[in-house]
Amino acid sequence: MERKILGFLAALSIALCLVFPVLAFLGKMPDEAYKFGFFCASAAWFIFATLRVFPPRPPGRM
Amino acid sequence: MVDAHPGESRAGQISTIASRLDKLYEFDREPVSGDKLQSGAKFAGLFAGEHVAATEFVIGAFFVLHGVTARDLFLGLLLGNLLAVLSWTFVCAPIAVRTRLTLYWYLRKIGGPGLMIIYNIANALLYCILAGAMIAVSATAIGLAFGIKSPALSDVLPDSIGWILITIALGAAFTLLAVLGFEKLSKFAEVCSPWIFIIFIAGALAMLPRLGVRPDFANFWEVATTRIWNGIAAPGQEKFGFWHILFFAWFCNLAMHIGLSDMAIFRYAKKWTYGFYTAFGMYPGHMLAWICSGIMVAAVGREMNPGLMAYQSLGLAGVSGLVLAGWTTANPTLYRAGLALQAITPNWPRWKITLAAGSATTVISCFPLVFMKLLDYVAIYGLVLMPIGAIVFAEHWILPKLKIETSRAGKNQPLINWAALFVWVGTLITSFLLPIHLYFRWLPGYVIALLSYVLLQVIRRREIREA
Repeated sequence: MERKILGFLAALSIALCLVFPVLAFLGKMPDEAYKFGFFCASAAWFIFATLRVFPPRPPGRM
Repeated sequence: MVDAHPGESRAGQISTIASRLDKLYEFDREPVSGDKLQSGAKFAGLFAGEHVAATEFVIGAFFVLHGVTARDLFLGLLLGNLLAVLSWTFVCAPIAVRTRLTLYWYLRKIGGPGLMIIYNIANALLYCILAGAMIAVSATAIGLAFGIKSPALSDVLPDSIGWILITIALGAAFTLLAVLGFEKLSKFAEVCSPWIFIIFIAGALAMLPRLGVRPDFANFWEVATTRIWNGIAAPGQEKFGFWHILFFAWFCNLAMHIGLSDMAIFRYAKKWTYGFYTAFGMYPGHMLAWICSGIMVAAVGREMNPGLMAYQSLGLAGVSGLVLAGWTTANPTLYRAGLALQAITPNWPRWKITLAAGSATTVISCFPLVFMKLLDYVAIYGLVLMPIGAIVFAEHWILPKLKIETSRAGKNQPLINWAALFVWVGTLITSFLLPIHLYFRWLPGYVIALLSYVLLQVIRRREIREA
């Protein structure tokens, strides 16, 4: 279940990574805002996708 | 250096090295069993993630600097990538599915352990140069942050201490991470690959308005033909046309399809038609990503500086993306180089070999030549390994049709199949002497290798019959 949620959040983040440049291309977002938005969405992707691939180990295990 | 004991014969040395290599590849010695075959979706995913690397930033940009026209680029990439997909499907996949072996074990049967050692060493050296190019591309991003000038197009040697320091630092970091744990890093690379692809799309999209493309896309083709792929080569760069692009797209992974090294992957395929799944790697990676990097270089004033392209189009995320793209692709390349070198480094642990391969790669990465001449290097890389693919193809398909006993069927396998070695070296010499462009040499070279190997085997058979 947790994996599914993480997968959904990762997919959402990568979709956002595409939304920001589209908005910049359409002239609906200034350059700096697009770059900041893209950076944040990228960071979110790395957090969720990494947690999905490397789930935290249960306590007490090596 | 080979750890040779005094008095040990050359044949003995080859056998020792070969047995070390065999141990390394022991886990995939047996043909893949039916229960281990993978689905088509797995193949599509694998290829989609494998063909977007840091070097894509350079390749697409170079097409712009080589004065390709938009029509030649789109048509050349479309058809060249199609030929690459067909080469995987009709040349590589059928042999892999029939044998269920890696090229390593199949070539060992055909060429003997001696030829296998030579092939491994050649492969390791080529891998190190490729990883060096990836480090150099990533270094342009770090250099930007420290205000260090990227090398110029014509640079062969490093022109500043700053560049040397950055490549050494980056090379050392990549090597250290590869030493610490390849497995986890490859898993992390899987996380990176979809995002790296997005980097190309996002960067190009954001740069289009700077080139004058309107939000309705109506004038895209006009901008593409006049401001991006306008047919004007940069000073000192050779003018490229349709055939250059077609051949480049085709031979970019020559060692993998015609050279058959992707037998390692396709031996897990249920059917040879799984070769068509390579299209999932070719068209997004070797078409879309190259088009995107072309747009980015045009938007930064046609300056070959991947770091600048990434920073201007995507900001800090672009710089990180370029470093990650270099790292995630250099990491398995360093690993493979280390694996190939393990045969000639007696009893060295894995970390020591990776350290040696990484150190050599780091030194190579200091020389701007490796990424400023990347297109030529890719051509040479494929050309060097291509004759082996021709020899294996002849052994697998042609010799049985001519009812000639194949080398792999021989009872007393020699240490080296001299005919194969002769054909390999002879083909390379002939190919390099051919008075045609470097990009086109592999095709006549392949025919030469195929025909000369078959001819030698016919002569050998006649000699045996007469004897």
